[in-house]
Amino acid sequence: MRKIFLITLTFLLILSFSAIAHADEIKIGACIYRFNDAFMLRFRNAMSAESEKLGAKIEIVDGRDDPTTQNEQIDNFITAGVNVLIINPVDRMAAQPMIDKAKAANIPVVFINREPTEEMLASYEKAYYIGAKAEESGTEAGELIAEYFKAHPEADKNHDGKLQFVLLKGQNGHQDMILRSKYSVEAIKNAGIEPVELASAIANWDKLQAMQIMNAFTMALGPENIEAVIANNDEMALGAIEALKNSDYNKGDKDFYIPVVGVDANASALDAMDKGEMLGTVLNDADNQGTAAVRLANALASGKDIKAIGYEITDNKYIWIPYQKVTRGENK
Amino acid sequence: MAENVSKTKKLFTVGGLIVLALGIILYFAEAPLGLNRKIYDLPIFLIIIGLGFALKGFMSKAKSENELDLGSKTFGEFLTNNAILLAMLVLVVVICILQPRFMQIRVALDILTQSSTKLIMALGICFTLLIAGTDLSAGRMVGLASVVSASMMQTATYANRFFPDLPQVQVWMPIIIAIVACMIFGALNGFLVAKYDMHPFIATLATQVIIYGACSLYFDMPPNNSQPIGGIRPDFAQLGQMRLFAGIYKGFPGISILIPIAVVICIIIWFVLNKTVFGKNVYAIGGNREAAVVAGINVFRNIMGIFILASCLYGIAGVLEAARTAGATNNYGNGYELDAIAACVVGGVSLSGGIGKVGGIVMGVLIFTIIQYGLQFINVSPMWQQVIKGVIIAVAVAIDLTKYRRK
Repeated sequence: MRKIFLITLTFLLILSFSAIAHADEIKIGACIYRFNDAFMLRFRNAMSAESEKLGAKIEIVDGRDDPTTQNEQIDNFITAGVNVLIINPVDRMAAQPMIDKAKAANIPVVFINREPTEEMLASYEKAYYIGAKAEESGTEAGELIAEYFKAHPEADKNHDGKLQFVLLKGQNGHQDMILRSKYSVEAIKNAGIEPVELASAIANWDKLQAMQIMNAFTMALGPENIEAVIANNDEMALGAIEALKNSDYNKGDKDFYIPVVGVDANASALDAMDKGEMLGTVLNDADNQGTAAVRLANALASGKDIKAIGYEITDNKYIWIPYQKVTRGENK
Repeated sequence: MAENVSKTKKLFTVGGLIVLALGIILYFAEAPLGLNRKIYDLPIFLIIIGLGFALKGFMSKAKSENELDLGSKTFGEFLTNNAILLAMLVLVVVICILQPRFMQIRVALDILTQSSTKLIMALGICFTLLIAGTDLSAGRMVGLASVVSASMMQTATYANRFFPDLPQVQVWMPIIIAIVACMIFGALNGFLVAKYDMHPFIATLATQVIIYGACSLYFDMPPNNSQPIGGIRPDFAQLGQMRLFAGIYKGFPGISILIPIAVVICIIIWFVLNKTVFGKNVYAIGGNREAAVVAGINVFRNIMGIFILASCLYGIAGVLEAARTAGATNNYGNGYELDAIAACVVGGVSLSGGIGKVGGIVMGVLIFTIIQYGLQFINVSPMWQQVIKGVIIAVAVAIDLTKYRRK
């Protein structure tokens, strides 16, 4: 009994010392939906760099794509006494309980990348959202295809003036998947070309799945009948390219080429563009989003003016970071 | 009975010859009939299938064994015993009607290619099933092997290299490292099962979690920080993408190198299971463990051997997967073990141990791949694909169990 008492006492002493040591520091708790996502990686790096610059302490945890895990992590952060939360929800429609928890503890919360609904954000005055307008990424990906189609008349393989495309979609129900799919097709329409969807499938943002699906599609449709491939992200675009290469397409021969576009501009995609295998991608500006998230969180936690962080705040709730088109050669 | 057998033989020979003749006629009559390649490679398929059946009928006549007896007294019994196979054949016909492009040699080759890595996995996992165990860590080992091998196989100019200062090493080195890494975890599996008599389910579950964690740690090392690994060297990618005999006649896509690799491994495993003491021991331990111990079989050593050999095969599958997709993430291989177990079960491997053949496993894997590929081919929703897959597994096991009860 005495031993246990002594051990407990020692632990308590250590704990209180460490608490004193960190008393003045701003502590940011950041929950990321999944670590092995190329885009969230850039986001994390930007957040760590900016925190170091501002002298705030940031702890970033991996939600492993599991809502339950993420909720436990948020509970842990709140119990551990962070000053502000940055949350990248696994499931954006399940953000309400997270907001309620933050509200109960009176901790400001900044959502990133996956947007809770307007009502959810409105339910707590210290809830914010930083991201890009997903429809913009779709629009720009569609525009890349439309521009290519107009500049290269031979891209219209069956000379019917319409654009026959294959669509590879992300995880079912994901906001980006819905909006990117919808607006990329819309952008082609707005450019004055009639889009015809040959086939579409859900490949869950995954390279391997996209490759297998695209393999079946090229066989079923015949690569000579596909005029474009639109993927909701780069990994799926790269998977599609591997499948096309399997049918001797996109290997450098201009006569055997199908334009493929993705979103994210990750390193492998840039590499594929340099090799001429991929037409283009759209950069979701993770650096600016990550920086903005930390600056906003820091300002909220330290009670500074959030209008002075260098990013424009819309409706006192949102910071929108624009997308950028990236095409071949630009990143050489 | 003997009469019945010779009847079946005749059926095979005659039926095969008819199909063969039909194929040859179609092959030459295609143009005059005005079909104009609308039936794709159907004649060639008919010729191959016809030849196969005719040969089978003919060969067994020579041997005069009753292996061709379809093993069932009534037609109804025949139907239930081969329900999965028949369902697959019906599906193939339906797909061919809906989408005639399915009747292409390149589709068949594509299906074989996709089956290759799955087959290697299934052959590994069958050893653990044969001793009435299981191996839940198989999928994560694939992920580990793909990440480890891909991380050392990037081009010198790639912007985001895993090891920025790593020289361009020989191709075999990372492959060996990746497979050995898997075998270490395989040894851990074997040790837990053999030494502590742990149920393989829980032992491999623990290992699975450890592997995924370790692989994620490796994958998250700076400067990579969990980026999908890309920029794979072409000589490594060739291992999964090279095609043999491409273009020997016009439009022939070539045979993926994965197919001969899988065939060679298949033969090796067949040899190990049927012609070596180790293989006999595996069946003995699976059939009756106590009896095996009494008979003086070193159970510890054999179980270690089983798990290490199995993990070696997962490692090979992982390396091939990385080469085939020219990339890797720590999520590769997720859930593969369940697909492999399902394919084994459909192929007649008993979960209670001791029963299972290499030929059956090949069939199981092919059936699964054909169904999956075919459903994707006619663009069936992935949710329906899941439902269908589940039904196949349930039906296969149900049939298997009724067969035993009848005996």
